[in-house]
Amino acid sequence: MNFFKRLLKNTSYHVNDYIIDSGSLFSLSSAQITLETKLNLKSTGKAALGLKNVSGRIFAETVEEIKNFLDISKRESDLSYRLMNDSYDYIWIVFQSGKVEDIISSISATGEIVHDGGFSKQLFVAMFQFSNYNGKKNDHYLVYNYATNKFYPFVLLSKNERDNKIENEIMETVSNELPFERDESLWYPIWNLTL
Amino acid sequence: MFLSFAILGLLYVIFLSVLAYLGLGFVPITIVAGLMILAQWYFSDRIVLWSSGAKIVTRDQFPELHDLVERTVARNNLPKPKIAVINTRMPNAFATGKGPRSSVVAVTTGLIDILDTSELESVIAHELTHVKNRDVLVLTLASLFSTVAWYLMQFGFYGGLYGGGMGYGGNRNNNSAGAMLIVIAVAMLTWIVSFLVIRAISRYREYAADRGSAQMTGKPIKLANALMKISGTMKNIPTKDLRQKEGLNAFFIVPALSGSTIGNLFSTHPPVQKRVEKLMEMEASMS
Repeated sequence: MNFFKRLLKNTSYHVNDYIIDSGSLFSLSSAQITLETKLNLKSTGKAALGLKNVSGRIFAETVEEIKNFLDISKRESDLSYRLMNDSYDYIWIVFQSGKVEDIISSISATGEIVHDGGFSKQLFVAMFQFSNYNGKKNDHYLVYNYATNKFYPFVLLSKNERDNKIENEIMETVSNELPFERDESLWYPIWNLTL
Repeated sequence: MFLSFAILGLLYVIFLSVLAYLGLGFVPITIVAGLMILAQWYFSDRIVLWSSGAKIVTRDQFPELHDLVERTVARNNLPKPKIAVINTRMPNAFATGKGPRSSVVAVTTGLIDILDTSELESVIAHELTHVKNRDVLVLTLASLFSTVAWYLMQFGFYGGLYGGGMGYGGNRNNNSAGAMLIVIAVAMLTWIVSFLVIRAISRYREYAADRGSAQMTGKPIKLANALMKISGTMKNIPTKDLRQKEGLNAFFIVPALSGSTIGNLFSTHPPVQKRVEKLMEMEASMS
């Protein structure tokens, strides 16, 4: 098929099979300070990693491995985590910690366990939750897409409405600090997820 | 896949060299046939959407369907296709479009009704694999050979009658009549072989799309369930939609050009039983 792809100049996107770019995730630790100082958006200390559920023992073992790893991390820091399933058959690992760095490194390590198990294409997104300064609205998210290794904003206005104005503000504020998805058509919403 | 194309390419070259050797004026016909099939490819999405009665739907109308598609394309770094719904009890789905960036994935309301979320996801992933593999384009290219051969066969046949009756006499008449016979024979052979090869390619693409779906969803058994549900229902409910489909297929010369329909029982698709078996093998190999 390569011949046809070249023929049709269809090289602008590709399936990014087995690359896990941890650097991108870690750039969030400086970007979250910028968000706080410039937009009054503060991390709530909560984040979630979404993973498409897979049949079979090997995947189940990978999930067990993740649990074992996180149980150890739990003892060494104030990290807590829980697992939940959504109606689309995705597993969500919800992390909570006072230190954003701990969450980022836990998510990064979890991603690597999934990757090493051979399930990198099942990695969906990592969602980092922010609240505005008075803490009244907890529904600002930076979403990290594993297939593109890029972040995009997702801000809820109501239960099923997005606040595009604030989303664009977030892009303007941190797009130079993070690998940012500039194609707005790829800012896929994640509805009905309670962290 | 590669072999199929090599055989088709070889046929095409042999075919053209015979024509060149005979020095007959078939070039205009070849060009016309080529343009026709190009137009067919170019308008395929609009023709298929229009004739199947599929309507593009927004997120507000079908939020769950949009979520399923978005999650799958996001994880696989594919462009999001347009989503269309056909209002019929018949459970089915197809993908069409010129390329991944302008594709449409259509499902029927019947499909949404009988499948659960994971099964629906697996069918969508099957169609997305067709889009990713550019199967509409591949089958259009493949059918180019059979279309050209078909036109030449007809032209050769009528040309032969015409030439025989009103020739200018002498050796020239005999030569051209003989030449016509050769052209008809070669065209016929090309048509028969490419017809079979197209079906082989099509079946191969179906298996490839099943595999792609299994990889995307991580649950081959869900597609197996969906296929059994779809084929079970299709046998039991004969409706006028099937007749419409037949008409559509005739129009398209190659049935598979009407989009890559999942679970239908044309010879362009492998038997559902076999597809289910392969999916179950995949499921078993995962544990």
